Amino acid sequence: MRKKLRLISSLIAVLGVLALGATACGSDDSSSGSDGGALTMAIVAPSASDDLAFSQSMVDSVNALDRDITVQITDGTFIVEDAAAAIRGYAEDGVDVIVAHGTQFGASLAEIAPDFPDTTFVWGTATDTQGLDNVFAYAPAADEGGYVNGVVAAAISSTGIIGVVGPVEAGDAVSYINGFTAAAEAGGATVNVTYTGSFGDVALAAEAAEAHLANNADVLTGTAQMVVGAVGVASDAGVPWFGTQSNQTSLDPDLVVASQVYHWEFALEEMLELRDNGTKGGQTFEINLANGGLVIEFNDGFELSDDVKAAAEAAIAGIIDGSIDTGA
Amino acid sequence: MNDFFTSSVLVATAASAIRLATPYLLASLGETIGQRSGVLNLGVDGVMLLSAFFSYWTVLQTGNLWLAVVVALAVGVIMGVLYGIITVFFEATQGISGIGIFIFGLGFSDLMFRQQVGTPKPVQRLPRVDIPVLADIPYIGEPLFQRSLLTYLAFALVPLTFLLLNKTTFGLNIRSVGENPQAADSLGVSVERTRFAAILIGNTLAGLAGAALVLQLGIFQPNLTQGMGFIAVALVYFGAWRPLGVMGGALLYGLVNATVLQWKSLGIIPVSISDLAGMAPAIVTIGALILLARRVNAPAALTKPFSRH
Amino acid sequence: MNDKSNNLLEMRGITKYFPGVVANSDVDFDVRYGEVHTLLGENGAGKSTLVKILFGLYQADKGDLLLRGEKMEISSPSDAISSRIGMIHQHFMLVPTLTVAENVALGMPSTRRPLTDLDKASKKISEISEEHGLAVDPSEIVEHLSVGERQRVEIIKALYRDAELLVLDEPTAVLTPKEVDDLFVILRRMADNGRGLIFISHKLREVMSLSDRITVLRNGQVVGATTPDQTSREELAQMMVGRAVRLTPDLPPNEVKESRLSLNNVSVKNDSGTLAVDNVSLEVRAGEILGIAGVSGNGQREIAEAIAGLRPIEPNGLIEINGSNVSDTNTRSRRDQGLGFIPEERVPDGAIPEFTVGENLILVDHETDNFVSRGLFSFDKISEHSSQLVSDFNVKTPSVNTPTSSLSGGNIQKVILARELSASPSVLLACQPTRGVDIGAAEYIHNRLIEQRELGTATLLISEDLDEVLGLSDRVAVMYEGKVIAVVSGEDAEREKVGLLMAGITEAVDA
Ligand SMILES: Nc1ncnc2c1ncn2[C@@H]1O[C@H](COP(=O)(O)OP(=O)(O)O)[C@@H](O)[C@H]1O
Ligand SMILES: [Mg+2]
Repeated sequence: MRKKLRLISSLIAVLGVLALGATACGSDDSSSGSDGGALTMAIVAPSASDDLAFSQSMVDSVNALDRDITVQITDGTFIVEDAAAAIRGYAEDGVDVIVAHGTQFGASLAEIAPDFPDTTFVWGTATDTQGLDNVFAYAPAADEGGYVNGVVAAAISSTGIIGVVGPVEAGDAVSYINGFTAAAEAGGATVNVTYTGSFGDVALAAEAAEAHLANNADVLTGTAQMVVGAVGVASDAGVPWFGTQSNQTSLDPDLVVASQVYHWEFALEEMLELRDNGTKGGQTFEINLANGGLVIEFNDGFELSDDVKAAAEAAIAGIIDGSIDTGA
Repeated sequence: MNDFFTSSVLVATAASAIRLATPYLLASLGETIGQRSGVLNLGVDGVMLLSAFFSYWTVLQTGNLWLAVVVALAVGVIMGVLYGIITVFFEATQGISGIGIFIFGLGFSDLMFRQQVGTPKPVQRLPRVDIPVLADIPYIGEPLFQRSLLTYLAFALVPLTFLLLNKTTFGLNIRSVGENPQAADSLGVSVERTRFAAILIGNTLAGLAGAALVLQLGIFQPNLTQGMGFIAVALVYFGAWRPLGVMGGALLYGLVNATVLQWKSLGIIPVSISDLAGMAPAIVTIGALILLARRVNAPAALTKPFSRH
Repeated sequence: MNDKSNNLLEMRGITKYFPGVVANSDVDFDVRYGEVHTLLGENGAGKSTLVKILFGLYQADKGDLLLRGEKMEISSPSDAISSRIGMIHQHFMLVPTLTVAENVALGMPSTRRPLTDLDKASKKISEISEEHGLAVDPSEIVEHLSVGERQRVEIIKALYRDAELLVLDEPTAVLTPKEVDDLFVILRRMADNGRGLIFISHKLREVMSLSDRITVLRNGQVVGATTPDQTSREELAQMMVGRAVRLTPDLPPNEVKESRLSLNNVSVKNDSGTLAVDNVSLEVRAGEILGIAGVSGNGQREIAEAIAGLRPIEPNGLIEINGSNVSDTNTRSRRDQGLGFIPEERVPDGAIPEFTVGENLILVDHETDNFVSRGLFSFDKISEHSSQLVSDFNVKTPSVNTPTSSLSGGNIQKVILARELSASPSVLLACQPTRGVDIGAAEYIHNRLIEQRELGTATLLISEDLDEVLGLSDRVAVMYEGKVIAVVSGEDAEREKVGLLMAGITEAVDA
């Protein structure tokens, strides 16, 4: 009897694993066309594909590609080993192009990619291909949008103090925050930066925002998926918020001023063309304001004065023509 | 450093500490009761995730915060019944069963969130409730008496848990089945019923902790707790299985976190070492509790299933 | 109703099966008001099972139970308690971290529900203490109490529940002789007040002194019922074991030769750093058994560990085996000098329970060439050697490949004995060699020790069983508070005299 019942507890555990598996492999086949010759793509992403941040930016970009492709997604693989398993699985299934969307997947890729020379691996954010000729690397010039956001933020702050909530000091978070800081400080503001140490800890991000408010910040920004907690604090306090990675207007239609949005499709499109012509990888791509991979999306629900808008446009133009150095 | 010792910053830090401590405190008090009865529940984090999701979802659907709290309690009760059946009646290994519950909670809350919600949408947060007169006391009024009802409840539960464990017959039963279930059994105390009840209370408080977390933030995300439930279990050990010790641990953990964030904001902790400073809360809390706590042993029958034969 | 001729309890035809064992087979047993009825039997005879059925911890497979003349179903301890049955278990049923009052009040309804009512409980405990001479402080935490005090708490627990039928399952196993005497006074008084007592023991001396009636169990069956004045210890032992046993071994005269083990001013500290052995000097010679008598905790354990090389001695002391100084050497080299060691804790110190019988038999010798060929164990040699020992030493085991943990205590002890004696030690250190071992095995072990003595081994015997020490020793050293306060020759060692010495009383002895 006891043995039988012990079985039940194992069943519960198995159920749990299945539930976890169901989400991690929650591949929604958003196929845009299904004739046999369609290109097959897969995305392996560390957080939820609708996180309004890093992972969603890639999913949205792939879906925006103007091509006949089938897409499979494995998201929520915050454990690197899970991601590696998914990447290898897709490669074994013969998927043509596999996007490993996370700097932390680099080591796994270095192991897997040489085993599948006909597969193209797309890896970012990263600034080199680790010498692998079937890997394309990509990175955003996140400092550029950070700079534009910073110009606007300094202009609308009345206390002259701006709070920034970041995750771990690495990757595009650093370049966004550095660009933002450079511009805001140039605009005469003081910028307080907090890296909470976690990509996922929403409660900590919220309290980091609270701390900035206690130190008289009246404008907030932040990057990575845990900032939803900080946006909630901004909402409660009625403080404007600047977003990045995805358009975060839906989190607070009244207080989100602008979001820097990643349009990876520009880089992806070039990679796919190279592949069509026989180049499986070996190059690095950057998305930026100039090539249209980065776009500053302003929220119409937040009124900006014409002066400020003009300053923002000037900053964008300056970055594109090279007259402005973001300092990053 | 000077900026830190201004009254408004100190008050804000204290308030932040108490907000951060609230979910830990609720979960740890529940775990304390369970462990005193001899049952280790490593599934706290899973229960918190489930109750956090379902109470978030309830607010999203109905806008009713109190209904959300009731839903969180119900999730706690259901998980408590489940865990009670597994560990008390089936005498399953507690460590593994708890991990099973955690994985289930993590996976199921994630699945439900993706299916039912998808993109995080902010919801109403728990309102601040000022306690008349006390809320106006300078310095301590804001951090202590301008909080949410769940925070008040969490701290009220500290003396209540103490009384329950030490002054009631039920508490005497809990402590005895946690130390020597054979002895309790020989005096006609039902080990099964006592442990089941303790588990039920523990899980209900874990459910409440999930609600306190999510309704304080006003938003849900997969794996929202980031392992808070495991820290809550650790706090029980470091709080030496005493409600007051556990409260001390939760507050200290909250306070060090809040202070670190405040110091980061003020630039007292430079960005260059900020990742390192992220470990401070755990280190300081463990260190302090090791130094301060009386040397107390775990309940002798902790993790040991009971049967007469 | 309450007069002595009436049955308080009657158990009829009780049968209880466990997987592979019949623990009780058609057992009849009764208790009258005002008597102490003893259940006597070897370990595993089924005594505990019978009273656990009475207390609702186990359910009988067959049989009836009549309480005060009426048929009763007792399906849980609560039923038993409400029928005024109290039980003092073989292992203390106390919660060490709780106070005496909490332990006593546990499971009882409170007048201040849901709160406890410990003040009231404490008052009642004090009254019971007073009435029955069971001194104990209700507010003390149980883990701070001595073993004797804990025993009293157990009895108070039963009396607090107004028990009329009191079961005591081996209550003396952990008590000192003095505590046993005190306990018996209390128990006798409770019987005289009209209660019925079931006393369980396998210690014949105690059984003879306390019982009104004696029922003997063997292999789950009643093999006899008698009263102390109609029987003797020898007869009881025969009933328990099923054959004639010699309770006190005869020590044939033997020639004592040179000194083999000598301790000179040896002092040893215990784990907490206090002096447990205080400047002891002893000599054990070839062909003699030197017994150490003493209430446990007076330094016996530490002195044994010091001789075995498991605990360091203080610098000014000296231990010699066969004339060579071994004070600073390890266990291995002391064994090489000829030391054999039967440790106090059979498992895990004496034998590793997870290992097979065969493996435990070569545990000490495993590095010698006998069992190793080309660096590897030779399993043929091992199994040949082990099988020989198993049959030589009468070890009851299905095979040499059986895990040691599944053997009875007596058989594990024989495995250890076989291993140690097969090395032909010149000095043997035997600690509690028969504790918890059934009478048959104890007799066997005693005979082996005597045989070893005839072969010229110098044996140091440390035992809490005074009868054993007195029966086997050529000389008896009495330890008290870490010192050897007297060494008397075996013939002069009277029980009473040594008993007083064990309590530290030397004056009466000198006089
Ligand atoms: N819970 C149990 N499960 C299986 N066998 C048991 C159990 N309790 C006792 N036994 C077996 O029943 C027999 C009688 O044991 P017990 O009543 O404890 O003997 P005693 O108290 O006389 O030493 C032994 O063979 C013992 O191994
Ligand atoms: Mg027994």
